[in-house]
Order: sequence, then C-alpha cells, then structure tokens
Amino acid sequence: MKTLKEFLIPTVILSVICLIATFLLGMTNSVTAPKIEQLAIETELASRKTVFPDATNFGEETSPEEGVSVVAALDESGATIGYVVVNTAKGYGGDISVMTGITADGKVTGVNILSHGETAGLGANATNESFRDQFKGLVQGITVSKDKAGDNSIDALTGATITSRAVVEAVNSAIQTAGGENIG
Amino acid sequence: MKIGLSILLTAILTENFVLCKFLGICPFLGVSKKLNTAVGMSSAVIFVMALATAVTYPINKYLLVANDLEYLQTIVFILVIAALVQLVEIILKKFMPPLYNALGIYLPLITTNCAVLGVVLLNITNEYNFAQSMINSVGAGIGFMLAMVIFSGVRSRLESCDIPKFLHGLPIVLIAASIVSLSFMGFTGLVDGIFG
Amino acid sequence: MAEKKSLGKEFTKGLIAENPVLRLVLGTCPTLATSTSVVNAIGMGIAATIVLVCSNIVISLLRKVIPSKVRIPAYIVIIASFVTIVQMIVKAFVPALDAALGVFLPLIVVNCIILGRAEAFAGKNSVIASAVDGLGMGVGFTFALCCMASVREIIGAGTFLSGAQNLLVLFGDNVLNGFNGFTLIPQDGYISPMLIFILAPGGFFTFGILMACANKIAEKKGKPRAELGGCQACPMAKNCALLAEGKECSDKKEDETA
Repeated sequence: MKTLKEFLIPTVILSVICLIATFLLGMTNSVTAPKIEQLAIETELASRKTVFPDATNFGEETSPEEGVSVVAALDESGATIGYVVVNTAKGYGGDISVMTGITADGKVTGVNILSHGETAGLGANATNESFRDQFKGLVQGITVSKDKAGDNSIDALTGATITSRAVVEAVNSAIQTAGGENIG
Repeated sequence: MKIGLSILLTAILTENFVLCKFLGICPFLGVSKKLNTAVGMSSAVIFVMALATAVTYPINKYLLVANDLEYLQTIVFILVIAALVQLVEIILKKFMPPLYNALGIYLPLITTNCAVLGVVLLNITNEYNFAQSMINSVGAGIGFMLAMVIFSGVRSRLESCDIPKFLHGLPIVLIAASIVSLSFMGFTGLVDGIFG
Repeated sequence: MAEKKSLGKEFTKGLIAENPVLRLVLGTCPTLATSTSVVNAIGMGIAATIVLVCSNIVISLLRKVIPSKVRIPAYIVIIASFVTIVQMIVKAFVPALDAALGVFLPLIVVNCIILGRAEAFAGKNSVIASAVDGLGMGVGFTFALCCMASVREIIGAGTFLSGAQNLLVLFGDNVLNGFNGFTLIPQDGYISPMLIFILAPGGFFTFGILMACANKIAEKKGKPRAELGGCQACPMAKNCALLAEGKECSDKKEDETA
C-alpha cells in the first residue's frame, strides 16, 4: 500500500494542478482571443489604408500565385479603383514582406513593409516613411539610384542597397500582378 | 532541397542561436571552458533539439491546432521537453551506459535551456513543415556546437593572457563573446547570396 | 528555512546585493536579447515581474501540498500558465510589445530567475515574503535590463525611450501628448549612432562592461565578484554538483586544481 500511496498522491496532485492551470488558461483565452482577432483585422485594414488612402473599402482577398495576395480597393460606390498587393522579395536578412497600393492605371499609391529581417539601423530603415513615400506616383519599371533619384527611381538607403533593391523588386512585381489582375 | 540547405545554413551561420539570437547563453558561458565539455554539452543539445521537434511537431499539428488549442503551446511544450529529457536519461542509463556517461550528465541542464524551447516555438512561428522543422532544429544544434567549440578555443587562449584586473572573470568572457559574435555577423547575407 | 528578515530587506536585496542579472548571473538570454531599446526592456521587465510575483505567491501557497518528488514539474506548470496568461494579455492589449519581444515572451518560462526563485525561496517561505521577494527580484531584473538598454539605445540608436507609445497605449491613445522618446543623435547629423551597440556583439560587450562595473562596486563593499552559474539560486544546482563530481563541471575550483 505504501508504494501505491507514494506514486498515487504526487500523480493526482500534479494532474489537479495541470487541470486547474488549463482551465484558467481557457478562461483567459476566451476573453482575449476575440480581442486579438479584432486587433489583427484592424491592423490589416489600417495597413491597407496607408498604402491606398483613397479607398473606402476593400474586396475579397485572392491569391494569383503562391506568396502573393491581391485585394481590390473599392471606392464609395463599390467600384474597383485599384489593388493592394502583398508579396515578398529576398532582402539581406531573409524575406521582406511588402504591401503595395496600385491604382487602376498602374500608379503606386503607397508602400508598406509588413515584416523583414533586415539589419537594425541600416536595412530596417526601409520601414521609415521618408523611404516609403518615395514610391508614391511611380509606375512600372522603378529603378534604384545611389545618389540622386531621377525619373521613376528612388534613392537607395544608405548602406542598404540590397534592401532597397529588394523592395523595388517587390513593388515592380506587384504592379505587374495588379496589371494582370486588371486585364483579366 | 534548396530550401532545406538554405534553412540549414541560416540556422548554423547567419542566425546562429547563441551569437545572433541570444538563445542558450547560460550553457554557452558556463560549459565552454574546455573543449571536451563543450562538445559533450552541444551533442546532448543537438540530440534533445531533434527529439523535441520530432515529438512536439505532431502534438502541435494533430492535437493543439486541430482542436484550436494553440494557446496551450508554451505549457505543453515545456512539459513535453522536461518529460522527454527525463525519459531519455532513464533509457540511456539503462540500455546505453557509454552514451549515458558521455551525454547523461548534461541532460538535466537542458530542460531549462531556452534554446530547446526556442527552436520548437520558432519552427511554429516560421510555419515550417515537418522536414523543414527537423532541418532547422538540427541546424540550430550544430550552430550551437560550432559556437561552443570556437568559444572554448578562445577561452583557452584567454587563460594565458594578461587581462586588465577589472575585467577578470565574467566581463572578459562576455567581451570575447562579443568579438566572436562580431565575426559571425560577417555571414549575414551569405545564404541569400548563395541561394537567392 | 531561510533566516527571518524584514520585508524591506527582502525587497531591496533583489535590487542590488543579489541582483539576479548582475550578481547572480541568471536570465542572461532575455537580458541580452531584449535590451535593444529601453521601452522593450521595461516591457520585458514588467512581464517577467508579473510572472515572478504571481508564480511565487501560488507556489508558496501550495508549498505544503506539492510533494517534493514532483515539485519541479509542478512549478513549471504554474510558471508556464502565468507566462501564457501574460502572453495573451500582451497580445491583446500591447501588440507592439508582442512584436518586439517575439519568442522571448513565451521563453520567460525557462528564465532561470523564475524557476530559481521558486526553488530557492517560494517553496520554503511564507506567501507575503515570497511575493515581496518576487517583486524585489523582478524590479532588480528590470533595473539591470534598463541599465543595459539605456547604454545600448543611446549609443547604438541615438535615441532614448523611443517607441514609448507602444507601452503607453495601455493608458489610452496619445497619452503625454503622444510622447514617443527623445532623439539624442539625429540621423543625418555630423555623427551617426554606433549601430553595432544595438546588434548582437554590442549586447555582449555592454553586458561585459556593466558586469565589470558591478564587480568593482561589489569589491569595494568587500563582497565577492559575480561568478558564473550563480549556483545558490539555480534550480539545476544539484545537477551541477553532479557535474563537479565527474570532474567535468566548469566549476572554478575543480578547474584550477586540475
């Protein structure tokens, strides 16, 4: 009997602690989960708004190829005035996820960096507004320039040419995707 | 294949767990004084990381995600890892004494090694499939070993150096780690350069 | 049983004399990883403190119920629950902090400070003393993190308290007139911040120098220098003794005679 007691009591107590812990976690989860979900939706909407400020609403998300998603930007009447494309490009420290807003006639309305693994203080400066705003109004075939940006080109980030090129590549390919969407 | 190799190289070099991600610092500083302990400890880490990933991946996919219980990940994983380590210790002791003598003493220390739980959680965050998770875990383990071995070499040189008095002990070890970490920064961009 | 100390002493010992990071050398991973900015450091410190205080209280309450055989797994379950609760709350209310801390938020589970305090203190002392001990250790951890982060952020990024709104969002939108930190070294000025300080090598370096300073202060007070392993507080101390027996431990005495 002694061995039974020796094994049983610790097992039972440990199980009870686990049960109570799981119960408490379930309760907390039921409170926070809707909040977290709502936050994710809000963040996505806010992000789409920054790249396409003129849009009042957004359509259903489609994915023409793997790793690329397209959402139609709608005006008040529900007509499509452009697209918001999310795609990725290879940066210096892994994939950079870029969101680009493009009007129906192929002009960039805004660029947002959703996630990246670039070096803090160099490549990570791609998230700065001063870099992202350069893309506004540009069209297909954007180039990177190292000193002074000419027509349809942007200034590279200091010490982060690879990052700048990656973002430009993502935006160019996004314009192409949106164009294809437009024709099709 | 290409993706696998790129994950492996990333885990070993560009995103080295110890030197770039700051995971598993305690054993890195504590057990790296001699080469043989460094190798023993890191072999045990590779072993446990691979095992933990192999066990937690199905648990996560078929038990937790399937039942919308993702929020239990942390608690389930740490318990699984702790139980696993104990189990491995018992099995090794009974059936493989030579291996137990080589790795056994390091096993209990690994339960609270954040690198093991870290690799399991990162596999999920990165949405790796089973094969990719395994490659990433083994790679992280090898990266840990690489850092340990290199650092034990650095530390054995440190012993015979004339170090300013105020830096004796831990401070100089940390500063040496900083220089080793600096050298690993040279690998940034390498993997995408090869495979990109 | 630990000797009886006044609660005030219980609290202050965690700040300086037994500072978990700088004196006991525990929790080095989150210290290095989350000290890239002061705001992250404060966020991490607060999260760890909440877990520390709550788990200390619960473990102390249950200290007579938990059989010593299964005490480590029981402690781990309790700590992991609180970590998960804190994680959910942070995700729901301070999302920017969740993004900044990443995997280090769930990794509070394996932070040696918490399991160490459970084993060394909360498992043996009264509820109030354990709560105060947890608070002291947590504040000490936060203090050390902030020291590290101030040095790294000011030198490495040229800012101080940058991204303060990420935390202040808890109290509503645009509190303190949208205060979002100071810029000490402007981006396009004559001098640039020394980036390396917020990268990995700078973390190790800053920690080394801070440790040297802490050692110097300790020496002046006639206390020993901080040694690695902080064995008295480490939950795995027993296993370390095991290592020492096998003459394989990095234990300093064994090594010096060998």
